[in-house]
Amino acid sequence: MSSADSTSTFAAKPPSAHVVARGLGLKRGDRWLFRGLDLSVPRGSFVAVVGPSGIGKSSFLACLAGLLTPTEGKLEIHDADGRIHAPGGVPGATGVVFQNNLLVPTSSLLSNVLCGRLGRYPWWRTVFGLPRDERELAYRILCDLGLGEKVNRWVCETSGGEQQRTAIARALFQEPELYLADEPVSNLDTYLTGRVLGILRQEAARHGRTVFCVLHNPQLVDRFAELVLSFDPAGDGAWKLRKVASR
Amino acid sequence: MIPRDSSNPSPSTSPASLLGAGLVSAAGSAGNAAPGSPPEPPRLPELRWYERLNVLGVSLIIFLLACAASTPALRGSGRQLDYVGNLRRFLGYFFPPDLSVWPETLRALAETAQIAVMATAFAIVIALPLGVAGARTLAPRWLVTTSRMLLNVIRTVPSLIWALIGVAIVGANPLAGVIGLTFYSVGYLGKFFSDAFESVDLEVARGLRAIGAGRIQAFQHGVWPHAKPLVWSYVLWMIEYNLRSAAIIGYVGAGGLGVQLAGYQEYYQWEKFATVLLFILVLVTTLDVLGEWIRSRITRKLPRSRA
Repeated sequence: MSSADSTSTFAAKPPSAHVVARGLGLKRGDRWLFRGLDLSVPRGSFVAVVGPSGIGKSSFLACLAGLLTPTEGKLEIHDADGRIHAPGGVPGATGVVFQNNLLVPTSSLLSNVLCGRLGRYPWWRTVFGLPRDERELAYRILCDLGLGEKVNRWVCETSGGEQQRTAIARALFQEPELYLADEPVSNLDTYLTGRVLGILRQEAARHGRTVFCVLHNPQLVDRFAELVLSFDPAGDGAWKLRKVASR
Repeated sequence: MIPRDSSNPSPSTSPASLLGAGLVSAAGSAGNAAPGSPPEPPRLPELRWYERLNVLGVSLIIFLLACAASTPALRGSGRQLDYVGNLRRFLGYFFPPDLSVWPETLRALAETAQIAVMATAFAIVIALPLGVAGARTLAPRWLVTTSRMLLNVIRTVPSLIWALIGVAIVGANPLAGVIGLTFYSVGYLGKFFSDAFESVDLEVARGLRAIGAGRIQAFQHGVWPHAKPLVWSYVLWMIEYNLRSAAIIGYVGAGGLGVQLAGYQEYYQWEKFATVLLFILVLVTTLDVLGEWIRSRITRKLPRSRA
């Protein structure tokens, strides 16, 4: 815990805890996915979540998003003013890149990205879509990810990699305090992988937004992450948090 | 009717066992099998007769039994009638169609279309909330039961009866037709809309909730875009259906072509009656082709849903 506090040297503000877990445990069926998980991740950290398939990485992110309730222990999200919230307690504060993207297949890429900011408006203001400047911004983010020419295509007409980038664009457009990205680069080529992770890294370093990102490639972990949360297949619910050696 | 399994050939002569023997001998030549005791080839497990019955089979049997029990409906009046001659004589009345009535037929046709369009429009407005309320994935159980029950009751009443109720309320004019067909269409559209909403994968909407969208926003942006093409193709079907219904409800005075049909029938003006039928035929065929084309254009791009 104490070691983690010194890692985020790029953060604009003095690092304060953002995500705090105390004795967190999650049981699916009769198996503990993780247990006794204690961590305090400072604001603006890039945390790589690693471990073999089926070990509970996605479930851990789902707990952070407030989509799953942990079996035991506590999970706190501290806001910038030090107030403590439950996971998912502040609408729009958590941005998720889901493993299966969860885009609306029969909407355009642009509409899907615009969904990222629905939480900022009451429903009656989004009945006829978001304001013009929001649409321009969403378009620019899509352009950044090389999707400028396809903004008006339906999602179901685009490729897997394009859908994944759209899901990332939706999270970036949302500008959440906490990014939860579940294998966000699994369908992207080397160039786009570097680009996407670079942008997420910047979001953490420059804007003090915390990133939890499930990654499988150790080189990418070394290149982009500051902290590594690894789930261990050996023990029942074993886990480890370490700093990346090169930082 | 019931499949029996007594027709199995004995194992020694069945093609399957011959094939099995071939395999065994091939394995034997490779030196695996002990000579003298050839291993038993795996036998295809035969199903017992009752294991072969599934819902399709059972309902088919019930249908065939129902057919056997329904022959009395074919008895007719019991008198010796010249069926073919009757048909020929009656159809002969229709020819040649008296096309001179085209102006009033065209006017009635327009009125029929107006009734159908207005009824469909009102039905959409009423059926959409009922459809949401009837979708098991979106509404609580008690609401689903209530909504579906209501829709069932509405569907039970034929369109002609609904038109009759309309006539009783507002008198014999096209408004009665609109009222009648509105009720009738709500019964169908409500059910179709429920099915459309149920076929939408709710995971996407839940995802939107997780990133901050409210309930209504998650519905509007996560469920509606997926349901919209289905909803619209049902609406097109309903317009088509209502046009056909609107042509008949005039029989009880609710406006449109039916009024004309009833009048010509009353005075045995079958040549004019035939003209009206021709107009209906052209209209319905056109709409059928057009609607089919639009529907295929709409749903072609849809991803395969789980429903």
